[in-house]
Amino acid sequence: MVKVILDNITKRFDDFAALKGVTLEITDKEFMALLGPSGSGKSTLLYTIAGIYRPTSGRIYFDDRDVTDVPPKDRNVGLVFQNWALYPHMKVFDNIAFPLELRKFPKEEIAKKVKEVAEMLRIETLLNRYPWQLSGGQQQRVAIARALVKEPDVLLLDEPLSNLDALLRLEVRAELKRLQKELGITAVYVTHDQAEALAMADRIAVIKEGEILQVGDPDEVYYKPKYRFVGGFLGSPPMNFLDAEVQDPYLDVYGNRILIPIQYRELVKKLGVRKVILGFRPHDAEVVRGVAEGLVGTVYSFEPLGREQIVTVSVNGASLKVFAPEGEHFTFGEQVTVKLREDRIILFDKKTEKALEFLEE
Amino acid sequence: MRKEKLRDLSFFLSPMVLMVLLFYLVPLIMTIYISMTRMKNWNVERYLTEFVGIYNYERLFYMFQHDPTFKAVIMTTIVFVGITLMINVFGGLSLALATFFINERAASSYRLLWLLPRMSPIAVYSLVWYYFFHGSEIGTLNSILMSLGLISEPIPWGQVTPWGAWSVIIFVNGLVGVSFGMIVFTSALNQIPKELVIAARVDGASSWQISKRILIPMMKWHLLYVLTWQFLSLLTTYPHLFLLVEWDLVNRDYGTTLALYVFNTAFGRGEQDQGLAAAAAVVLSIIGVIGGFVTLKVLQFEKMMKKPRGDF
Ligand SMILES: Nc1ncnc2c1ncn2[C@@H]1O[C@H](COP(=O)(O)OP(=O)(O)OP(=O)(O)O)[C@@H](O)[C@H]1O
Ligand SMILES: [Mg+2]
Repeated sequence: MVKVILDNITKRFDDFAALKGVTLEITDKEFMALLGPSGSGKSTLLYTIAGIYRPTSGRIYFDDRDVTDVPPKDRNVGLVFQNWALYPHMKVFDNIAFPLELRKFPKEEIAKKVKEVAEMLRIETLLNRYPWQLSGGQQQRVAIARALVKEPDVLLLDEPLSNLDALLRLEVRAELKRLQKELGITAVYVTHDQAEALAMADRIAVIKEGEILQVGDPDEVYYKPKYRFVGGFLGSPPMNFLDAEVQDPYLDVYGNRILIPIQYRELVKKLGVRKVILGFRPHDAEVVRGVAEGLVGTVYSFEPLGREQIVTVSVNGASLKVFAPEGEHFTFGEQVTVKLREDRIILFDKKTEKALEFLEE
Repeated sequence: MRKEKLRDLSFFLSPMVLMVLLFYLVPLIMTIYISMTRMKNWNVERYLTEFVGIYNYERLFYMFQHDPTFKAVIMTTIVFVGITLMINVFGGLSLALATFFINERAASSYRLLWLLPRMSPIAVYSLVWYYFFHGSEIGTLNSILMSLGLISEPIPWGQVTPWGAWSVIIFVNGLVGVSFGMIVFTSALNQIPKELVIAARVDGASSWQISKRILIPMMKWHLLYVLTWQFLSLLTTYPHLFLLVEWDLVNRDYGTTLALYVFNTAFGRGEQDQGLAAAAAVVLSIIGVIGGFVTLKVLQFEKMMKKPRGDF
């Protein structure tokens, strides 16, 4: 129930910089996903917000309060770990009650609050068990209950679902999203699973090597990636990337000529770039038989997925993945043309791998 | 049990069974036997067959009632084992916890410091404390206190009975034993996932609360192990005591524990009485077994043994 502001946070471990000037504002009651590959500094950033790590430089604010030098216990944050970190020698009840006991709540009130939060997470029948007597999904709920019971201002979750099986993950993630909105808690959710981030978050911050590359709502980061990395990290399969050369008003893409997308014509002229990367999502194109206007190639492979299929097309050595409807039958080596949806094409600068519209930022 | 299973079992167990037989059971039976003979001065031919039943035990019991020297030995054993054990276990625990919360590099050199008593040869180490507690003005402690003007005459620390003598032997042995607990507890602490500590910190626990509520309960097994192990080794240790008594640093009566008494009676100067020593050794073993058993019971060893995962 606070706004969290990270102002130019840097964190060094000895001479290794795990966070390099992170600036991020998480608004009140927002569900912010922190998405990035392994080792990108997600946990480090989360622990910095919790106060476990002290930033090497930069400030952290909860609303107007500067909490940079405030110890974790005075920040009123709830933290859920990737491995849940339940106390193995305490029963579920005592695990959840622990933060309240430390705050010297009276016994009856502790019992009442534990019961409430246990009911909310549907673990009220498990209170008398030890953590090792629970399934993964149940342990995970206990961990969330322990974080919620002290009514934190900010809920910090470090890949809490990564130890669950795929089905349970889908179920819990819907629940978690609902819970966060019902309680109106500001939440930061760390994940390396792009689908999870897209499904749950109000906004996503994409982090790579300690730097935040892009912050935006799911549509924004999905359809308007600022960097080639963002396009390649989100979506399954991810964005297709092809080297292209500007030959105004065309783009030369592996021997195929296509018109520069209308939204980029002015920009390309203005910037005077020559080498670009053409990016498009697999569902923003279609595969037609034979030679036509577009990228001509041959069918390399196809994978039916039920409702649709992924066709891999080889265009003069470059490989593309495109969704096609289920009914169509392709054969290996068949000549096809990939027709792109012009308005969804993103052009990146070849050198900086930054989308052209952000190049001047 | 099936035949192969039996064969496997005997294959794996036989070396250990042999060792136990050879080095434990046989000496034990011999000791019990000797304790029932009039064995003296290692005169095997003459006394080994002279069976006297429980005569030696009666002598011990009589001494326990009437001999002030032997009474002192028993009191010394109780006080020495009890207090040194507490120092060993809680000293080791405190050191492990204290170094757990400070930075790793400082912690490891600090721990090394506490290992020194264990690493130095017994004679060298004892000699250091010999000079430290020496009863004349050459003793380090005396000379410090005298130059500070706190005392005017040197105090023969180890000859002040009973507490002076006890303090010296407890102090010297306590320092040796602390490192054992410290090492076991430190390695136990390093096994505890650091997320648990972080979680407790975020929940608002102080270092003291983290130790009390999270770390110590999770080290219960190690605590039990160190407690039992140190109890048994304190009950049977005598090298440091032997030297301190032999060098006349501490009073003979109040510096001698039952273990040293057994040694002196069997191998010491003057008349050696192996029959009596063997009887005392048997009593010592029985105390050890009972004591070990009680610690296991008190700390509910069975409860700590979690049911194994899976049924096989
Ligand atoms: N205590 C530490 N000392 C030194 N380096 C560290 C420390 N903690 C993290 N790092 C380094 O900082 C980088 C970021 O680590 P972090 O744990 O934040 O990654 P992450 O994004 O959470 O990865 P994952 O998805 O694998 O959990 C890594 O390269 C890691 O090696
Ligand atoms: Mg992590």
